[in-house]
Amino acid sequence: MSQTQKHPLLIIEDSDEDFAALARMITQAKISNPVYRCEDGEEALEFLHREGEYEDVILSPRPSLIILDLNLPGTDGREVLAELKQDSQLKTIPVVIFTTSSNPKDIEVCYLQGVNGYIVKPMDTNRLRRLVQIFLDYWFEAVELP
Amino acid sequence: MVLFVIINMSSDSPAPEILTAITDRQLQDVDLNNCDREPIHIPNLIQPHGVLLAVSATEYQIKQVSLNTLEMLGTEPQELLNTPLSELLGEEQVNKIQQCLSQDFDNINPLKINIHRGDRDFIFDGIVHRIEEVVILELEPVQPTQVVDLFNFYHLVKSPITRIHNTATLDELCQAIVKEIRQITGFDRVMVYRFDEEEAGTVIAEAVKAELEPFLGLHYPDTDIPKQAKYLYTINLLRLIPDATYEPVGLIPQFNPQTDKPLDLRYSALRSVSPLHTEYLQNMGVSASMSISLIKNKRLWGLIACHHNTPKQVSYEIRTVCEFIGQVISFELAAKEDNQDLDYKMNLKSIQSQFVKTIAQAEELEIGLTQNPTQLLDLVGAGGVALSFDEDITLIGNTPDRAEIERMLSWLETQFDEKVLYETTSLSQVYTPAEAYQEVASGLLALLISRVQKTFIIWFRPEVVQIFDWGGNPHKPVEIYEDGTIRMSPRKSFAKWQETVRAKSLSWKPCEVEAALELRSSIIGIVLRKADELSQLNKELARSNIELDSFAYIASHDLKEPLRGIYNYSSFLIEDYKEILNEEGVSKLETLMRLTHRMEDLINSLLHYSRLGRAELQMRPVDLNNLVTGVLDVLKVSARDKQVEFEIPRTLPTINCDRTQVSELFTNLISNGIKYNQKPIKIIEIGYLDFSDPIAQQKFKARPHNAELPIIFYIRDNGIGIREKYLESIFRIFKRLHGHNKYGGGTGAGLTIAKKIVERHGGEIWVKSIYKEGSTFYFTLQRSVSIT
Repeated sequence: MSQTQKHPLLIIEDSDEDFAALARMITQAKISNPVYRCEDGEEALEFLHREGEYEDVILSPRPSLIILDLNLPGTDGREVLAELKQDSQLKTIPVVIFTTSSNPKDIEVCYLQGVNGYIVKPMDTNRLRRLVQIFLDYWFEAVELP
Repeated sequence: MVLFVIINMSSDSPAPEILTAITDRQLQDVDLNNCDREPIHIPNLIQPHGVLLAVSATEYQIKQVSLNTLEMLGTEPQELLNTPLSELLGEEQVNKIQQCLSQDFDNINPLKINIHRGDRDFIFDGIVHRIEEVVILELEPVQPTQVVDLFNFYHLVKSPITRIHNTATLDELCQAIVKEIRQITGFDRVMVYRFDEEEAGTVIAEAVKAELEPFLGLHYPDTDIPKQAKYLYTINLLRLIPDATYEPVGLIPQFNPQTDKPLDLRYSALRSVSPLHTEYLQNMGVSASMSISLIKNKRLWGLIACHHNTPKQVSYEIRTVCEFIGQVISFELAAKEDNQDLDYKMNLKSIQSQFVKTIAQAEELEIGLTQNPTQLLDLVGAGGVALSFDEDITLIGNTPDRAEIERMLSWLETQFDEKVLYETTSLSQVYTPAEAYQEVASGLLALLISRVQKTFIIWFRPEVVQIFDWGGNPHKPVEIYEDGTIRMSPRKSFAKWQETVRAKSLSWKPCEVEAALELRSSIIGIVLRKADELSQLNKELARSNIELDSFAYIASHDLKEPLRGIYNYSSFLIEDYKEILNEEGVSKLETLMRLTHRMEDLINSLLHYSRLGRAELQMRPVDLNNLVTGVLDVLKVSARDKQVEFEIPRTLPTINCDRTQVSELFTNLISNGIKYNQKPIKIIEIGYLDFSDPIAQQKFKARPHNAELPIIFYIRDNGIGIREKYLESIFRIFKRLHGHNKYGGGTGAGLTIAKKIVERHGGEIWVKSIYKEGSTFYFTLQRSVSIT
């Protein structure tokens, strides 16, 4: 349990409602990992590169896992992903896409870029709850994170 | 003062091989069978009204003389031979001749030649020309009555030329010519004789002595003037026969000692004409004749033909005046002829521009061309027109029937060679089957628009039965001798001989042919422009498709996000405030959640539909039995609780298609058959029609025979059926005929998607239904043609 506490989760999500739903489910799942949120791509990249207001290493730790929405204002999720995977330091962080888009093209492109999972946002809260539970179990219980 | 017409042919003699090629010097007995080959330029005879001396160009020694020197010059021919010319004429006159030949303009034809022999003085018009190494001097006794000097010449020529210039049309011009020439020469009859395309002649203008029968309008067959005579007319522009009953005078020696050949008399004024010609004139009752060549664009256009019923001498000067007028007229001809039919040409132009405007505006060329049928006919003055587009034939006006034109097309195609236009005025002569419809289609003018697409415009002209007035029977009288040889002689009778010509239309005028050709270039221009517009349109369409693509995608994302929020928050509301909310409140929130679900389904259907239209088809051979089995397996699982019987009466074919899409097509149609069905045993039949099936016959009757026919598939159910009035609208997206909760719900996109799939495969879909008894959905798919 102390091990998992060290693994911060970064959620890159522009929609407050979607974040609220996700956060609600994570809270209900009662995990203790710190959760960080960035609202758009620019912010996420600054956070990851520890630039601008995220210079503080303590306040802006390197996440162990990233949940990435594809459609973001400004620099969108696809660009963020591309940049992450080109960075020798950051490319080891697992990225799971969490998006509305079920477009096969998006799915293919994301896996080509090396994502670790692709989840289509469900309409149903029960289904969302289940997905979040599986996700947390898998990443924070089953596997070893970098 | 003397006049000038010099002919010096030493080096630049025009194509003597033409004559050698078409004549046969060995020919002895000339008749009409062989008169085309009679070497009329070397008859070795001259007319007796003058004397001919052939002199060597180097020494000026007399080498050859005509046999009439004794009568004309008072000296025996033998005495003249091999004597210097100066002995006969004196140094001074020989000098004049030499200067004349070197084109010294003070001494030009005709030279006045004085010869003093014994106690007699002879005065001649001397006409001199040189042909290679031979100088030919022709002497004609001076006509005492007519002495023409330059001043007279000017007067003689000025007023006729003015009058000729003042004419507006070709008819007026020709009328003026005959009048003026008759005035100047005093011939009994002066005619303008014009050659047509077939080289036959027609008298188009005439001035004739009152008591003589007019020849105006009469036709003469092409054989009346043999080819080589026509050729001589183009190099020797005036020919005179003062007395057709003359006895020709021979030359001595027979062969020119310099060339060792008969003397070439092609430029000679005294040259004796073919005995056939004099016989012809005598048969016609003509004693003297003169003809002046009319040349247009270096070709013999016609003749000014002068006849006199008694012998008649015309002085060299008057001949020169006539020849000069002939040359002036030759220049006028082109201009006058171009002005002919000016009104008609203007009219054609205006029709043409209107017509081109219409077709330019038309959506399709075929529609544009047929919109104004009268104009299309008037454009070339036709009675009917057939438009052939690929295999499709449109007929306007009086034409042969469709089947006959179809048959004609394969022949016509081969007639164009490298050209784009083919014309004839007697179709049945070149294409025998046309005899059957010569009344409507004796004339044919065909325009080749596209050989590949078999696009033709074919105009027809009716037969015009024409009565030709021939100057005597044009079919030459034939005498067959006992030994079997055939001899044709010039005809004896020149009485008007009428011939009725059938299976021939009026000829296509150059301006009509030109109008057709211009129409073609307009059409080509329009077609090219349309292609441009089409490619532009395609680009725009491609762009708007891409826009639609991103629109559908963005819309789906952006619509779904708030929708999900509504759903989630409703759900959280129920979770967090369950205690506060009463049952009605919970039920309303649940309705809200259900509606957002439906909204999501609709968005997903829309997205799927939009993707379906854009995804590239993966065409490959698909065994439909295999495909349908797969579809049925899936459906059987979901319809487990229902009684469904699937019937496939015969093995389905293998077709080239996109497997995923066609699978969805079958799924949608079959599942509809199950869904909208309340029978205890639901029966779904899947099959395809034979080409002999009435429905297939009806569908494909307009298709060309050689095109591959698609297969008509059907899916028949014994379900609830569709009322007649909904048969069209069921294919509209989100159109539902029933409540959302009836028949298992659904967004109403299934048939729209089915239709899209069929259309993307180049087919069509339709439905036949009996309300409450069942529906049959038909759709066509190509067996092999790949469509993207």
